[in-house]
Amino acid sequence: MARSVYKTKTKKKHFVAQKVKLFRASDPLLSVVMWGVNHSINELSHVQIPIMLMPDDFKAYSKIKVDNHLFNKENMPSHFKFKEYCPLVFRNLRERFGIDDQDFLNSLTRSAPLNSEAQGRSGARFHTSYDKRYVIKTISSEDVAEMHNILKKYHQFIVECHGNTLLPQFLGMYRLTVDGDETYMIVTRNVFSHRLSVYKKYDLKGSTVAREASDKEKAKELPTYKDNDFINDGQKIHIDGENKKMFLEKLRKDVEFLAQLKLMDYSLLVGIHDVERAEQEEVESEDNEAEEEGESDGGGIGTPPDSPSNTLDSNKPLSPGEFDPTIDVYAIKSNESEQKEVYFMAVIDILQHYDAKKKAAHAAKTVKHGAGAEISTVNPEQYSKRFYDFITTILS
Amino acid sequence: MSSNCTSAAPVSASKTKTKKKHFIGQKVKLFRASEPILSVLMWGVNHTVNELSNVPVPVMLMPDDFKAYSKIKVDNHLFNKENLPSRFKFKEYCPMVFRNLRERFCIDDQDYQNSLTRSAPLNSDSQGRFGNRFLSSYDHRFVIKTVSSEDIAEMHNILKKYHQFIVECHGNTLLPQFLGMYRLTVDGVETYMVVTRNVFSHRLTVHRKYDLKGSTVSREASDKEKAKELPTFKDNDFLNEGHKLQIGDDNKKYFLEKLKRDVEVSVETFCLTDSVVLCLLSEALSCFLCVRVCQFLATLKIMDYSLLVGIHDVERAEQEEMDVDAVGEEEEYENDGMGGGVLTGSFGTPPDSPGNPLNCGGFFGPGEFDPSVDVYAIKSHDSAVKKEVYFMAIIDILTHYDAKKKAAHAAKTVKHGAGAEISTVNPEQYSKRFYEFMSNILS
Repeated sequence: MARSVYKTKTKKKHFVAQKVKLFRASDPLLSVVMWGVNHSINELSHVQIPIMLMPDDFKAYSKIKVDNHLFNKENMPSHFKFKEYCPLVFRNLRERFGIDDQDFLNSLTRSAPLNSEAQGRSGARFHTSYDKRYVIKTISSEDVAEMHNILKKYHQFIVECHGNTLLPQFLGMYRLTVDGDETYMIVTRNVFSHRLSVYKKYDLKGSTVAREASDKEKAKELPTYKDNDFINDGQKIHIDGENKKMFLEKLRKDVEFLAQLKLMDYSLLVGIHDVERAEQEEVESEDNEAEEEGESDGGGIGTPPDSPSNTLDSNKPLSPGEFDPTIDVYAIKSNESEQKEVYFMAVIDILQHYDAKKKAAHAAKTVKHGAGAEISTVNPEQYSKRFYDFITTILS
Repeated sequence: MSSNCTSAAPVSASKTKTKKKHFIGQKVKLFRASEPILSVLMWGVNHTVNELSNVPVPVMLMPDDFKAYSKIKVDNHLFNKENLPSRFKFKEYCPMVFRNLRERFCIDDQDYQNSLTRSAPLNSDSQGRFGNRFLSSYDHRFVIKTVSSEDIAEMHNILKKYHQFIVECHGNTLLPQFLGMYRLTVDGVETYMVVTRNVFSHRLTVHRKYDLKGSTVSREASDKEKAKELPTFKDNDFLNEGHKLQIGDDNKKYFLEKLKRDVEVSVETFCLTDSVVLCLLSEALSCFLCVRVCQFLATLKIMDYSLLVGIHDVERAEQEEMDVDAVGEEEEYENDGMGGGVLTGSFGTPPDSPGNPLNCGGFFGPGEFDPSVDVYAIKSHDSAVKKEVYFMAIIDILTHYDAKKKAAHAAKTVKHGAGAEISTVNPEQYSKRFYEFMSNILS
């Protein structure tokens, strides 16, 4: 949409007519997220970007409480609170991950985030931004505390690897209060593509205990398969030598970092895009649309009716199986000689600390539970080694 | 709505009814000011105008809009401490109503926001009744007055009728143009503020200023006042000087006859008659407006308002500018490049602010002005003794007769100036006396 875009180091000029944002959503919580991100990015635009982060920035927060009376009631609740943790740190992280604040803002506010089928550990709730670039995960207050504990080291790691990592890209962390209920949310870059569909999904840890998708899970539209399913399916990740080398090098550094911080129980999330299958699906959906054309308003793949496309993906159409590596940063094409696939692979769920686990396990006084069984055998160092070895074997 | 809005050469702005496109690169606003309360004011106006930009403009205002408010409380920790206090609150009263009023007064919300946020508002020398604090926006287009909570209550009481009056007169009035009303809380202290359009020009200096009520009791500037740079003179000073505001004999006569009839017409009828529309030529309009306004104020039992008069002396201004140029050239080799005739001081634009789009319109000759910006300006007529520009409007309209009576009775004394008047004058009488005095000073 923006025709003349100048990329400067810190500010991009947006010659875009002001668009009214109504923050309309099905759930007041989503409206508050949209409002909150909009507010936070706007506030940050009035704070000078420091040359470097200070220790205080890792303890900082911004809090705002809104109380309206007979005003703006259509889309927003009348009373809510929004807290952003370490605003300057996350702004810096966004910059290091190549994400412009205005684009981040637009993705999260132009249209309401969508509910995601995916479920994290313990049924954590997921949303994706309407343009599918970002994932918003509802987390616990313990997770927020753990994030604070690791934030400085995480940031340092990102500085050293120049943002080139398989670890989650943490982009913002918030606390919302609506109707007296507090909800903690963290925003990360989507591991999967914002465009290419994933037809098969795996969550791999490198362990063998209870690592199989349940029947209930298998009944879903896109089930999350696990280690045993992967092995039993004879699934392979066909990437060429160069890609494999780069990938494993990144992974090695990442798990080393995690082990150092005594974090464990993370997974490798794997998503597979099958190019031919996707082409077939698109042909079918076009046929369906042609049939329905007289009937419906056309509702395609889900760009909201009134949203212009994001500035970044309007330049040229991408052919099947093609992607923009600056947006779909985790995408790896399959080896030329094998079937045409695109793989999306990254590490997720990194906030489980060993010490916290041990405490919990001892409190529960049982080792029958899956996590308990593991804790009696594996520590972070061992976990990382076993994890890394398993991933190495699945890449051909 | 039909309006008398004419804009002066906005830069590539296509005017739609509700939104003006601003092709301006995003400017970082730091809200830097000498006092925390000014930073909070800047932040607050910035925030509320942004919030409003996400609320659709309704077809018409509803009764609830006159009771509404938006409140926001900020609590930052180790963040954004440079220019803003860490804790503050900002409340806007009746946001939708004031947005509507700004529209009716032809003030674009973006321009309003820019005027109040691009650079800190400036302290003003002038003092209202009871030492109220005055500020002006950095570009001198708007005045920010600190008011009491009683004033806020009174505003709420009159707001519906005031809005209705503005609708009917199409924004064409001598009454204050109320543009926003806020409550700021900094360090636990609450401050109420009302923003109005500046009666005086944002460009042309005022050399002499009067506050006129049409009464004669204690209506003289004190010696302390006269010592100021721009003293506020009063009724007796005006009369003693034998001053007249020379706006034109013929027109004045023509309208006074008409107005006499209008004044005797029942106060219920406020409609613009055809003959009056024909008479919407320059200066004499002020007489007509004066009547309507006085009727409006009397109906609402408001009194103790003043006519604020500012006089710009064209020749004197030209002389002053030449003096500044001369000084500027002398200092050119001494300063860091602030010379070359750049006017600093009260009319200097802050060093880092681009000109407001509305400034870039045309080049104005001496004594010339843009009537869509300096809405209260009236030129002296061609055959006047002195070439002058007058700025005249009504100010201080929040004193209600009943509140006064209560206060006077509570004080149990009539020695005080206000008390002395209350025993003699009611709003009807006040408006009549006011109107008569004003028509006398115009020639």
